[in-house]
Amino acid sequence: MLLTLPATAAMAVFFVAPIAIFVVYSFLTAQLYDVSRPFTFDAYAAALDSPLNRTLARNSIEIGLLSAVCSVALALPVAYWLRYATGRWRMVVLFLITASMFASYLVRIYAWRTMLGEHGVVNSALQSLGLIDHPLGFLIFNRFAVTVALVHIFLPYAVLVLFAGFQPIRPGLLEAAQDLGAGSYMRFRRVILPLVAAPALSAFLFVFVLSASDYVTPQFVGGSSGVMLGVQVQANFTTVGNYPLGAATSLLMLAAFVALYLAMRIGLRLARLDRVRFS
Amino acid sequence: MTVRSRGALAITIAALLFLYVPLVVVVLFSFHNTGSLSLPFTGFSLRWYRFVLSDPGFRSALENSLFVAAWTSAVTLVLGTLASFGLARTRSRLRGPLALLFFLPITLPGLFIGLAMLVFFVRTTLNLSLTTVIIAHCVYVFPYFLLIAIAALERLDPALEEAAADLGANGWLRFWRVTMPQIWPLLAGATCLAFALSFDEFVITFFVIGPDGTLPLYIWSQLRRTVDPSINVVSTLLMTVTLVLWLAAFLFALRAARRRAASGDELVAEVVPL
Amino acid sequence: MSEQLAAVTVERITHRFGSVVALDDVSLTFRQGEFVTMLGPSGCGKTTLLRIVAGFERPTAGRVLLGDADITRVAPHRRPLNMVFQRPTLFPHLDVAGNVAFGLRVAGVERAQRDARVAEALQLVRLEGYGKRRADELSGGQMQRIALARALVNRPRVLLLDEPLSALDLKIRLEMEVELRRIHRESGATFVYVTHDQREALALSDRVVVFNEGRVDQVGTPDEIYHQPASPFAARFVGDANVLPVSVVRVDDGQAEVTIGGETVRVQARGDGARVGPAWLVVRAEVVRLTERGLLRGIVRDGAFRGTGFTYQLEVAGVDEPFKAEVTSEGQAVLLPLGSEIGLQWDPSACVLLEREEGA
Repeated sequence: MLLTLPATAAMAVFFVAPIAIFVVYSFLTAQLYDVSRPFTFDAYAAALDSPLNRTLARNSIEIGLLSAVCSVALALPVAYWLRYATGRWRMVVLFLITASMFASYLVRIYAWRTMLGEHGVVNSALQSLGLIDHPLGFLIFNRFAVTVALVHIFLPYAVLVLFAGFQPIRPGLLEAAQDLGAGSYMRFRRVILPLVAAPALSAFLFVFVLSASDYVTPQFVGGSSGVMLGVQVQANFTTVGNYPLGAATSLLMLAAFVALYLAMRIGLRLARLDRVRFS
Repeated sequence: MTVRSRGALAITIAALLFLYVPLVVVVLFSFHNTGSLSLPFTGFSLRWYRFVLSDPGFRSALENSLFVAAWTSAVTLVLGTLASFGLARTRSRLRGPLALLFFLPITLPGLFIGLAMLVFFVRTTLNLSLTTVIIAHCVYVFPYFLLIAIAALERLDPALEEAAADLGANGWLRFWRVTMPQIWPLLAGATCLAFALSFDEFVITFFVIGPDGTLPLYIWSQLRRTVDPSINVVSTLLMTVTLVLWLAAFLFALRAARRRAASGDELVAEVVPL
Repeated sequence: MSEQLAAVTVERITHRFGSVVALDDVSLTFRQGEFVTMLGPSGCGKTTLLRIVAGFERPTAGRVLLGDADITRVAPHRRPLNMVFQRPTLFPHLDVAGNVAFGLRVAGVERAQRDARVAEALQLVRLEGYGKRRADELSGGQMQRIALARALVNRPRVLLLDEPLSALDLKIRLEMEVELRRIHRESGATFVYVTHDQREALALSDRVVVFNEGRVDQVGTPDEIYHQPASPFAARFVGDANVLPVSVVRVDDGQAEVTIGGETVRVQARGDGARVGPAWLVVRAEVVRLTERGLLRGIVRDGAFRGTGFTYQLEVAGVDEPFKAEVTSEGQAVLLPLGSEIGLQWDPSACVLLEREEGA
């Protein structure tokens, strides 16, 4: 137990203390790049009142939801294939998916700018094939581009979470379901879906939280319709200099994430899917 | 079972293309012989590599990144190994709260960690520098390291240590001759992973970095202006380093798992870090 | 009689996994209402055949008929057959009632009828009142009974059972055998049962199919299989008999004279080996008596007390394998010392002669 002491001390000083100070900041009065007393709720009121924040929050939620839904929907069949397919390709694909997780975050964003830009790969390929005369303008600097880049970043995580979720579902269970008359849709609806509900929701939450709080992707491929709350929070600290407002806004985001997490737990419990024990 | 998974296979292939085509395009254009970043691809050349490697800005960013990642992984190795032994071998009531403390950074988006760190460093008048970056990276990387180390320790068969004790080995000897040989590959792998995560970190680094930039910061500043393949070169180099490190971590884990003669599926479960 | 109607027929089934031949030209008929057991060592193809009947494997060649209908290419979920798997495969997200109701729910049976049939099925396996339990709150034996109920509730034409008792403790296994016989009687369904346990096969079945290396070795009632094995394999696998290489020197009046390692013995001339020439003499271990004088002489190499009697391994001249004898403790109260020489005696009518190739 003593062995944990150095790490505990380090985490207390460099993690707990920063978070605590951050929370305190959100209740202080703003000065330019500084704070002062008295303690108030002004920053929270301002964060909630700001029409800009509301628009950006809606953007964040929509883009976050879209990214999470797309990631999980795409990851489900991939994880299914990884779990139940046979042969050596399975290992290769698993390796490739995991490896892609370690392709740099910034590089991915840049890669999609290269792909989707006005003179990007997609447009120039379509043009050289003669399918279009002028570059498609709707590919980049909007929500679509942000969502594509975010799905690209988080898909490997979603696949691995779901792959782990599929692990305890033995092929025998699916055979038993089929033997009892369940076709492929019924097997999915009545066996697979309830059994991967918990990991699928974890993956969903994971992608949603990290997408909705992203502040880098929108800056490079989001244009004006793809701006998100994280960009504004970052601006409060770096260019506007209103620390309490930025802190309050981000803590409200965090509160929303926690609320979403709790809602999912309650939903799983009500569906009695929170404590499935595999034998 | 013969899964009829043709649909799933098609989606899997599509997903792999989706994941890899953009990255391959970035790498491809790093070898372009002109300054153009759009098709058609006119030929291969190393000119952009020469250009980037002779840029003093790139060199210092690379040095800074290596410096930060080396310190981060070294500190994480020491603190993480100690903490994992402490945590895995205790039945104390503090175990739960401590685990919560250690793993919390994984659950928080980088934006919050970065901002909280920024406020903390400003408040404590620590000047933003590579040191603050190292501190922030340690907080960020620590739970990943711990996750792997604790999993490795919990998979150890306690009977082996008991057998060693029965054969007369004292605590120190048991640690070096029985425990360490079993877990060092995974600790080494986790250290590589820590290095890779630190080397590639941007979201937190952005807030706590001083005047000296790291490689991701260098890419970020290029992203804001340029449109020539030098950014592809830096991107390719960055990904190569991270991937090589991950591959090392993967091979270490594979080695540890193979030794214990696990079945194919167990091997997969053990090697996939998550 | 309805008992003679074919429930399932497999015709000339051959199945290969890559280059491995799992089943080699197998034809069988399972009659309506009977309890058939497919018996054989692991890897003999019996489970593969069951999975072909269930539809989980498509045979390389051959046909599967349900009644008169060819179902070889019908998907498993469209076959009116149900299966009980080796490992209990209860759905972990459903309670017992949900598991049993699964097939009815998939088939769209309405709620009231579903509940009634689930209750009936649970009653059949004597687990009334367990409906709300979850799978992990059941013992191994209970899980397999639920699996049985889950299959039987669909009123399958044929119930397939793939070593359903092999994961259970001996005591529970014996209880479950009694249960299985009762459930078979009460449900009236055709049971096709796969096992590697010859004792289970003899205890449960109307008919036994002995498998060896992808082929059917013998089909018969348990009594026929036990007393008239058709091959050395069947004799050894069922009931662990002594199979001795002998030469038949004379056959007359239903009696055969055979020589074993220089000794001449008279036995009843039964079996396809009862003609002059080389043959296998099958002598079951439990028909052997140890006396002062006997048909053969043996040296005790191992002996063990078994409660009801003793089992011995003896060395007999002209026989390579140890000769096995199981004797009750009535005749001899004490274990014979190792190395002692003793005579071996048996009822000449309790033997079978089987064909043997020269030199085998």
